[in-house]
Amino acid sequence: MAGSGIVFGAVSHTYRPMRGRPVLALDGVSLEVKEREFVALLGPSGCGKSTLLYLLGGFLPIESGSITVSGKRVTQPGPDRGIVFQNYSLFPWKTVKQNVLYGLEKQRMPKAERERRAQELIDLVHLKGFEDSYPSQLSGGMKQRVAIARTLAIDPATLLMDEPFGALDAQTRTLMHEELLAIMQRSPKTVVFVTHDVREAVYLADRVAVMTARPGRIKEIVDTRPPHGARTEYQQTPEFTAKVDYLWNLVRDEAIRAQEEEHG
Amino acid sequence: MTSENIFVRYLPLLLLAVLWEIAPRVHFVDPSELPPLSAVGAAWWSLLLDGDLWTNGVSSFFNWFFGLGSSIVVGIALGVMMAWSTTIDDIASPLVKALYPMPKSALIPVMILWLGLGAGSKIASIAMSCLLPVILSAYNGARGVDQTLIWSARACGASNREVLWEVILPGALPEILAGIRNAVAISFIVLVASELLVGQRGLGYLISFLGEGGVYDAMFAVVITVSALGFFADRAYLYFMRRTLVWRE
Amino acid sequence: MERVESKSWLSPVWKRRLLRSSSVVLLAVAWEWGARMHFVSDFLLPSLSSVLVRLWDDSVSGDIPVALGLTLARTFAGFSMAAILGVLIGVTIARLRLVRWFFDPIVSVGNPLPKIAFLPIFILWFGVFDWSKIAMVAFSSVFPVVVATWAATENVDKYLVWSAESLGVDRRALLWQIILPSAMPGVFTGLQIALPISLIVVIICEMTMGGEGLGGSMMTSMRFADSPGVFSGIVAIAIIGSVLVKLMEITRRRLLVWHAESTR
Repeated sequence: MAGSGIVFGAVSHTYRPMRGRPVLALDGVSLEVKEREFVALLGPSGCGKSTLLYLLGGFLPIESGSITVSGKRVTQPGPDRGIVFQNYSLFPWKTVKQNVLYGLEKQRMPKAERERRAQELIDLVHLKGFEDSYPSQLSGGMKQRVAIARTLAIDPATLLMDEPFGALDAQTRTLMHEELLAIMQRSPKTVVFVTHDVREAVYLADRVAVMTARPGRIKEIVDTRPPHGARTEYQQTPEFTAKVDYLWNLVRDEAIRAQEEEHG
Repeated sequence: MTSENIFVRYLPLLLLAVLWEIAPRVHFVDPSELPPLSAVGAAWWSLLLDGDLWTNGVSSFFNWFFGLGSSIVVGIALGVMMAWSTTIDDIASPLVKALYPMPKSALIPVMILWLGLGAGSKIASIAMSCLLPVILSAYNGARGVDQTLIWSARACGASNREVLWEVILPGALPEILAGIRNAVAISFIVLVASELLVGQRGLGYLISFLGEGGVYDAMFAVVITVSALGFFADRAYLYFMRRTLVWRE
Repeated sequence: MERVESKSWLSPVWKRRLLRSSSVVLLAVAWEWGARMHFVSDFLLPSLSSVLVRLWDDSVSGDIPVALGLTLARTFAGFSMAAILGVLIGVTIARLRLVRWFFDPIVSVGNPLPKIAFLPIFILWFGVFDWSKIAMVAFSSVFPVVVATWAATENVDKYLVWSAESLGVDRRALLWQIILPSAMPGVFTGLQIALPISLIVVIICEMTMGGEGLGGSMMTSMRFADSPGVFSGIVAIAIIGSVLVKLMEITRRRLLVWHAESTR
């Protein structure tokens, strides 16, 4: 299908701090994400994977190259590309319900309908009963679920996730993986997922794009769909472990390179 | 830091009050320099009945309210604008930084020069003194709003205006409220200072008038009144702050 | 926070640097030009040059140095009293239960009071010359010192204390070698807050009571409608205010050379 999905066309990005020299963060990144595909961006710290995500989200200006989503060039943020951050980014002065309602209010949805939809999503992420709680009263996992509910409420075609489970402990993270997969089953979306956790990438994604150390380029793309059966069972197989090892070595090379650059 | 019981906690003040009553009466201190507490209380009461306390109090309140109020409104607007636009920031920041270490009370004579001996100079003095702390707290509060919050709002479809009113202002509120608490304290100081200096009205004026007239028990009474007003204003503000920021842990 | 960036022909970074460095200069130029154009009367806004000339003349003639000397002498007298008393009280509050019980309500009630209201009382007690001003300064400045010292002494890292105790340090040495040095940064911060307060209070007292000193001469100028005199007074006070703040910062860096914050 021409024109659907996401196309990164030779995207470059330079950081220009007030003090110090400009830094090339991304160098001609080209990548295609098919509609409803789950792609993970994997790489060492500083490789620019979050930057690429922010460019896709329209939060940073695209100075060089282009990004199109469903044929339209990305110029600014919009409700077609929802985002979930690592630090949850919930409005601390709003309750859970008010947070989830926010995007719906921006869409000028009629009151009754948006109340209903908000409740639907709060139930979906298993937070029924916490509608009137403030984020400061919730655990990390619960906060992340509110963030996901808020983003999903406006039903974006594309979901951007920036190391969303990075701040959670191992057990919660595992549970969140399950929840995310279940949600994706119910309403599939195009997902671009940034992480530095190799296992997480292989487990969740259809394809994993490994990025080089700064300046970031696409090093290699690996298919990570389970050949057959559900992801949970696939996780136990030796093929899964082999994939993880392979990707881990790719990332490791880049991580070493990144360290060497730092210590010049 | 506190004991369990309110009474136990404030007992030292009660003891000091008792001391204040007894020491002048037994001539441990000179009663013409420190009238006993009961005399001060009686003087306060008669000031209240005479209406002197009230009329001067109203005059002071008027100056305080408009001085502080204008500094809050203008300060928040300026501070947020500086945080919002890099151009305004580049122009205004160096000025703010340069003016910050200056003791703002030094502006009182200029205000008197420009606006005369009446309410205008007092209101302007208070406004100018309180402006900087409010600007600074609004600026820092707005700058400190997490970038990802703003981006989340944008990804939800919020426009620039909506981001300003629905994300940045609420996000900056804790720091703004802290800065205003500071400003409230400063406003009292500048109010009293300017009224001690010039003018025919106000609680500060009343204090110096009574002092020059040698009516010391009444003078003490007004000093205590002003102090109490400052204290309760701070307490009331703290209560308001806590209620507004209920969403914090 | 992301800012609204304006588009301009000049490279963004350089434009910003230009604006920042020139805004104060531009203001000075505008002041001078505006005064010369007589937009407002000379009385209301004397030209910057006349103010600076006046400042120079008064400095050379000895008027300003004398007034400055008096103001500073009173400031330091009151400040030192407040500093010594404040630190003593603050430390004993933190260490002795009974002292804490006694001073806690005094400090918590006394802090938000507009202490300048007590000036007429101090005049009654100490007369119209220096002592009333010094007492007023000490009274006003002692509170921030007590509060800061109390907090700093009380909040010494308990792990530090436990380490010392397990190494066999006795109570006296614990206080002088562990607790007080640890509290120093906080105590010094209290002193840094108190010094500008001391200066302001002296100036207000001088303005109210007249006579010699920066505040007094400003009021005299005002009464004679001598606006260059008033403005040069402001400039002098602003300069001395900045100098004092800067001196405190330098002293802090010297004194706390071991502290983490100085190694930035």
